[in-house]
Amino acid sequence: MSPDEARTAREPDDLLSESEALHERVRGFARASLGGTQGDERFEDLALEIAQYQARRIPGYARLVESRGVLLERFDSIVAVPTDVFRLTRVAAHAGEHDVASFHTSGTTAALSGKHHFRTLKTYEELSLAFGRRALTSVFGGQRVVVALAPPPSQAPHSSLGHMLSLFMNRWDGRALSVAPRGAVYDPESSGRWLGGSGGIDLEGLRRAALVALERQEPLLVLATSFALVAMLDGLAGALVPAPKRTIVMYTGGFKGRSREVKPEELRCEIARVFRIPEVQVMGEYGMTELTSQLYEATLPGGDLSAPKGVYLEPPWLRVIPVDPVSLKPVRFGEVGLAKIVDLGNVDSAVAILTQDLVRRVAIGQIEPGDEEPGRSLESGVELLGRRKGSPVRGCSLSFESWIVGAREGVA
Amino acid sequence: MSRPETRVRQLLIAAKKLADPRHPLGERLRRELPALTGLSAEGVEYALQHSFEVNASSAEVLELCQSVPQIDRAHVLLSANVFVAGLRAVALGLAASPKVFVRSSRREPLVVRLLEEASKGAFRVVDELVPLPGDHLWAYGSDDTLKSLRGELPAGVVLHPHGSGFGVAVYQVDAARLSPQAAAEALARDVGVFDQRGCLSPRLLVVQGPVELASELARRLARELSAFEARIPRGALSALEAADVTVYRDTMAYAGELHFAGKGCVGLDTRGERLMLAPVGRHMHVVHTANAPELLRGLEKDIAALGVDVSEELQRRLVQVLPKARVSGFGQMQRPRFDGPVDRRPARDGVPL
Repeated sequence: MSPDEARTAREPDDLLSESEALHERVRGFARASLGGTQGDERFEDLALEIAQYQARRIPGYARLVESRGVLLERFDSIVAVPTDVFRLTRVAAHAGEHDVASFHTSGTTAALSGKHHFRTLKTYEELSLAFGRRALTSVFGGQRVVVALAPPPSQAPHSSLGHMLSLFMNRWDGRALSVAPRGAVYDPESSGRWLGGSGGIDLEGLRRAALVALERQEPLLVLATSFALVAMLDGLAGALVPAPKRTIVMYTGGFKGRSREVKPEELRCEIARVFRIPEVQVMGEYGMTELTSQLYEATLPGGDLSAPKGVYLEPPWLRVIPVDPVSLKPVRFGEVGLAKIVDLGNVDSAVAILTQDLVRRVAIGQIEPGDEEPGRSLESGVELLGRRKGSPVRGCSLSFESWIVGAREGVA
Repeated sequence: MSRPETRVRQLLIAAKKLADPRHPLGERLRRELPALTGLSAEGVEYALQHSFEVNASSAEVLELCQSVPQIDRAHVLLSANVFVAGLRAVALGLAASPKVFVRSSRREPLVVRLLEEASKGAFRVVDELVPLPGDHLWAYGSDDTLKSLRGELPAGVVLHPHGSGFGVAVYQVDAARLSPQAAAEALARDVGVFDQRGCLSPRLLVVQGPVELASELARRLARELSAFEARIPRGALSALEAADVTVYRDTMAYAGELHFAGKGCVGLDTRGERLMLAPVGRHMHVVHTANAPELLRGLEKDIAALGVDVSEELQRRLVQVLPKARVSGFGQMQRPRFDGPVDRRPARDGVPL
């Protein structure tokens, strides 16, 4: 146990009640904002309060704030936690004994994986469902068949993505995968709906699920990682999957060396061809283990959300601020910066994280004069431009990036 | 035909003109190198005085000549190395052949141009290398560059690739000869030269001992780096290098101990027993361990230099783990013997040098 962990282990009871109160306020903010009302809370104020709470409760965050010489008095002064920190130390206001879940980043066995610890999943689940519902189910209403090109949660118990997919599957489907599900037992681990694994993609299972949706005359929702979709395309070798016209495919993540790399526009086009659906029904999701909330593309006409292809929309309780990689100050609207992400859902970990993903804010509608404030406009979304490359060597020393991603445990 | 040792000796005599601040070539080198390298004027001078290998002994020159085969034509491809590296690279070429063709780094073409001039054409600087079957090519650059080069070379050309790497310093608390203060002073010099951009530059300090002593060493090193900077200012970092620093600094402030060191910093991983690397630009990552060889096992492709202040037994075990790394004491990591290629590691893509 590190000195920091020992300190948080002696937490007083008021930590938990303070945390719980913040969670309730975040959920209230989310409900109010999705309900079209501002409520009593301002995003900036709530984010600042959470950051102050974390600085009081987490010695590491307090040190970071102090090292940056800021006072945490304004929203702009909230210091973001680099995502690498999640790999090196515990990022939590509460002690490990209060963890109800720990999600791990994927990575090689040699590299340290990042861990995001949750004291409660109530906020995570409410926020994920609320915005996911808007992004993925607001057009084709009613019940639907949900499958995932991913291993079942029991095979990936520390995957935040697996947890989210499971959540969506249970809430938006939750019935046995048969033509007449009434009376049949729903198996949340059914191999018929978790169609990915070490053996590749279960193409026959995908066809069966699509057939069930067709016979039920329900929409089909396919949830998948990008590399699983590439594996699906490779496995199909040009063949089609008969599926409902109201099929939506949600893809997420990069390729991580697990499949050949395919450009997003090509992937979207190929997936649309396979299911014979319009490309606008193939939508990207952006999430990270270190976050509680997710962003989505919103290409489907008539949905609650709307944005052009390649533009990701934030939920009202999350804000992506492109920042200069050196000064960490917000760049001007439309300029490329590192994604500093303020996620109110991260009450017990890091309300602001600094990723190494390059992003740019883009206008969705008409920008009014005066809206061009740094990092944000009222009608705007985020373009994802890939991971920042480490500095190219000017000498013969190894690049920093080559190694920071390779940080590993030694054998004592 | 001249003997290899003679050719190398003549090159070193030529190089002394560059090292001489009163010689016109030396003056020009000092005038133009800061802009080309990003180093401060003081940093250029310090590197010329301490790491430009013009005073090699006869024994070293003989060893260097014996480290290469005798061939008809030698080619040298320089790319993005620290500026003094050209001297040894050309010397290796001349040790192997009287006919040496050199393509300099686009970013820093000056040193080899001036060496060519000072040596009165002992080798030729060319815009394009055209190696033929049977020729040998000594190539320096990033791993990606070397990988693509390997695919482009005609069959029969022998490649000697030298990729990127870094240095590691190991301090054994209960057996070190230097006090923590003396060790910090010496290491600060190793870190400061070339603003830490060399493949011998230490960027990781492994302390075999308790975290408290690792913390003390980190604090002292930070102070010594600040003092070094007061004498030898750090040059400018590129925007990307500076971004690496921002990530590292904030990460260590949260996850360990962060000690500011002038424009740089020293980070201590208080948990220990795991590895990370500081960015270039006079930074050091410090980690404590109970078993340094085990911590460094498997990194023979990355670690080009090993600075040690440890017992003989521990040094023996470290060399077993890193058999190709250059071994030296603290303060000597940037002054390797002039006895062959500075980098003795296997190529990072697995092909032996």
